[in-house]
Amino acid sequence: MNTSVLAAENLAVESRLREGRRLPVLAGISFTLEAGKVLGLVGESGAGKSMIGRAVAQLLPPGFAVAGGALAFAGRDLVGMATQERRALLGREIAFIPQEPLSALNPVMTIGAQFGEHLARLGISSEARQREEARAMLEAVHLPRATELLRQFPHELSGGMCQRVLIAMAFASKPKLVIADEPTTALDATIQARIIALMDEMRHAYGASLLFITHDLRLAANFCDEILVLYAGRAVEKGEARELLSAPLHPYTRCLQLAVPSLSAPARELFTLPGEMPGLTTLQTLAGCRFAPRCPNAGEICRKEEPKLLAAAQGGEAACFRTELTLKIKTGDQAAPAMPKITAPLLLVEKIQKRYRSRHGLFGKTEVLAIDEVSFALAENEFVGVVGESGSGKSTLAKLIIGLEPPSAGRIELCGSDALDRSETARRRRIETAQMVFQDPQSALNPRRRVASIVTQVLEAAAPRLPPDERKRRAAELLAEVGLSAELAARYPSQLSGGQKQRVNIARALCAAPKLLIADEIVSGLDVSVQAQLIALLRRLRSELSFALLFISHDLAVVRKLCERVLVMRHGKVVEQGNTKDVFGAPQHPYTRELLAASGG
Amino acid sequence: MSSRPVKKALGFLRSGRVLVGAALVGIVLFSALFAPILAPHDPQEQNLVATLVPPVWSVDGDPTYLLGTDSLGRDVLSRLLHGARVAMTVAVLASLGAMLVGATLAHLGGYFGGKLDWLIGRAVDVWMSFPPVVLSLVLMTGLGAGISSVILAIVLVDWTRFCRVLRAEVLVTRHQDYVAAARLVGFSHWRTLTREILPATLPLLITLLSIEMGIAVIVEAILSFVGMSVGANQSAWGQMIADARQTIYESGWNLLLPMLAIFFTVLGFNLLGDGLRRTLDPRLLQAREL
Repeated sequence: MNTSVLAAENLAVESRLREGRRLPVLAGISFTLEAGKVLGLVGESGAGKSMIGRAVAQLLPPGFAVAGGALAFAGRDLVGMATQERRALLGREIAFIPQEPLSALNPVMTIGAQFGEHLARLGISSEARQREEARAMLEAVHLPRATELLRQFPHELSGGMCQRVLIAMAFASKPKLVIADEPTTALDATIQARIIALMDEMRHAYGASLLFITHDLRLAANFCDEILVLYAGRAVEKGEARELLSAPLHPYTRCLQLAVPSLSAPARELFTLPGEMPGLTTLQTLAGCRFAPRCPNAGEICRKEEPKLLAAAQGGEAACFRTELTLKIKTGDQAAPAMPKITAPLLLVEKIQKRYRSRHGLFGKTEVLAIDEVSFALAENEFVGVVGESGSGKSTLAKLIIGLEPPSAGRIELCGSDALDRSETARRRRIETAQMVFQDPQSALNPRRRVASIVTQVLEAAAPRLPPDERKRRAAELLAEVGLSAELAARYPSQLSGGQKQRVNIARALCAAPKLLIADEIVSGLDVSVQAQLIALLRRLRSELSFALLFISHDLAVVRKLCERVLVMRHGKVVEQGNTKDVFGAPQHPYTRELLAASGG
Repeated sequence: MSSRPVKKALGFLRSGRVLVGAALVGIVLFSALFAPILAPHDPQEQNLVATLVPPVWSVDGDPTYLLGTDSLGRDVLSRLLHGARVAMTVAVLASLGAMLVGATLAHLGGYFGGKLDWLIGRAVDVWMSFPPVVLSLVLMTGLGAGISSVILAIVLVDWTRFCRVLRAEVLVTRHQDYVAAARLVGFSHWRTLTREILPATLPLLITLLSIEMGIAVIVEAILSFVGMSVGANQSAWGQMIADARQTIYESGWNLLLPMLAIFFTVLGFNLLGDGLRRTLDPRLLQAREL
């Protein structure tokens, strides 16, 4: 008897371009997912991991098609299968858990109606039985007040609850295979841990196999039985999950492992992988191993021949000629940051409050206290982290300090002068003192300006008649400072990668040579290798330029890496603050403990 | 590398709609500009011996009057060419005026928000609740006949169209982080509006302008049809239709030709506007690139 639930054999996916050209997106992907096991597909964005999930569902984006190889579900060929037959499988024997729980649910239908529709497809026609079944499933995923929940609309639920509903729906058909594409990426760390635990519980209870697609190697290693690491459309390593994390064979896996900051391990430098994953078109011109241009171990042979995925002596498979060198890639211990001299505070925040009024109906009014009596100080050249879940008021705090919104009460002082002064001279002074780096690089860069013009916007405002050459020179300086090549100066933001955009974002803020930089979630949503590059950049800039940083993040490990001091926020209040070492080493507040436990992994 | 954005900027030239629209508008504009040179006769010159001459392709056609003559023996071709002058003057000036008023208010309201935005929004609401034709007739009665009154009436009626559509676009752009970033690096409100917001709303503005020109041509034709536009000593397309109504059974061409002129002009502006919208709108652009 064949126990494999999903098997791929030399699977290849290609993109068909208009001019009849074909670009391979995935090639030579082989794996077997045994019944009741969890297989993790790990890779950074653009590696092609989602394409595999989409190939199973036959939901490849337009212009993409399976070009070769076989993909079989329980011994049945999925690629050549008739549409009718596949439709009978999808949603029943093969279920999906999506990345964005909120957009996966129809906003105008109640949870009950959507669940009922799904159950009707599964053959439960009587409404009473649908309700009963839906309630049972919602209880199985530990959602309280299931009956009430069925009458609610998706927007009345939190992201974590929506994801639970979707998990309940996925398992309602008792599927053999569940495909989860980044199911926790959009969620907070504490909720993420609970959702992972729930998925684990459900798959055991229902005996389903799970294909878990993620960019987070550590998460995958904890949750999966086996892991397949993808790089630029190729499988570079395959192996038993824990072994793969503890002793990776492929240098790329090793670099991923070293690029993620850890909460528990002794502080060490993050490994920064140079460059970024090549795009589809550049890949075609690349001979030899696709990772070679970035690989610290690359030798002569790597640039000529493409390695095949081969079994290694110690178990596991890797596509690398020089696996014996992989574990030699190391990073040094992190030098303890020089404790800044505590001078007069650069930024002083005293009991600020921010109230939002929301109106509903004619007379209904509710007040939300987004920031509730927050006080803290920031010394010159000090890096302070602000952590908390979404909705804890972190971003609002940033907006109040930088002056995008006025606080409802309280005082903010910058360099000893009142930052809430609305006069034009005060505004000028604040611009020279404090700058902000925005969260979403997409929205923060004007798509109609070239990079050189964006990074020197401060000059444009301060001295509109500056000769263009002078601006160009300053732009080149700034780009060099943030580690971007000068040729990018003439590009538009749409021609940059995510990491490059964020560097441009930082360069613009640095143009005024500010004393305080406020960074709102600037590394979230980026791939780990890019994240490590940006952290290294901030640390280098600090020693070269000397500025203080208020670093807002939900990622505790990154904050531990970068900041000496940390504020933990919850529901608009600072529940704990202190030196990073003390707060993370011996948390006092139960909420801090919960956060640490959730992201400890 | 640098050729890509240039190619993108000139991409609208590849669109069939834009090409056809621009060609039609170009022909009309050319006729309007060079009407005195192109026209074979004085548009007001009457030849009472040769009234209602059919166009040259009919059996009784006369090669001196290529498109025939009207009931007073005036050359139809010359009158059409001179009519294009009136139509284009109104189209360009009225839509520019409406754009200036509407776009300014939209940008101010959308950018600053608050009470100002509320005030502008309500003004638009009230203004739009009047039927446009009635409003323009009332305005014309108040302003008196004449081409400048026609232009003013169109500006006063149609600024709301710009204001409402553009305000929504300004609001979307206003909430982009790059606008906040521009303020944070020290841009004044004026600079933020002109350097960060206006470039983003410009494609929509150009599109609306083109469509508004088509509308202005129709409104001018309606007003000259009822005799409230140019005086009798000038020729306008609406006036030609009104004149030809009486002799519709003797000479259908007299009615048909100015109607065709209006039809192709408006079609040209609409195709141009629609084509520009498709090529300039970044949202549609992104959808196509995916």
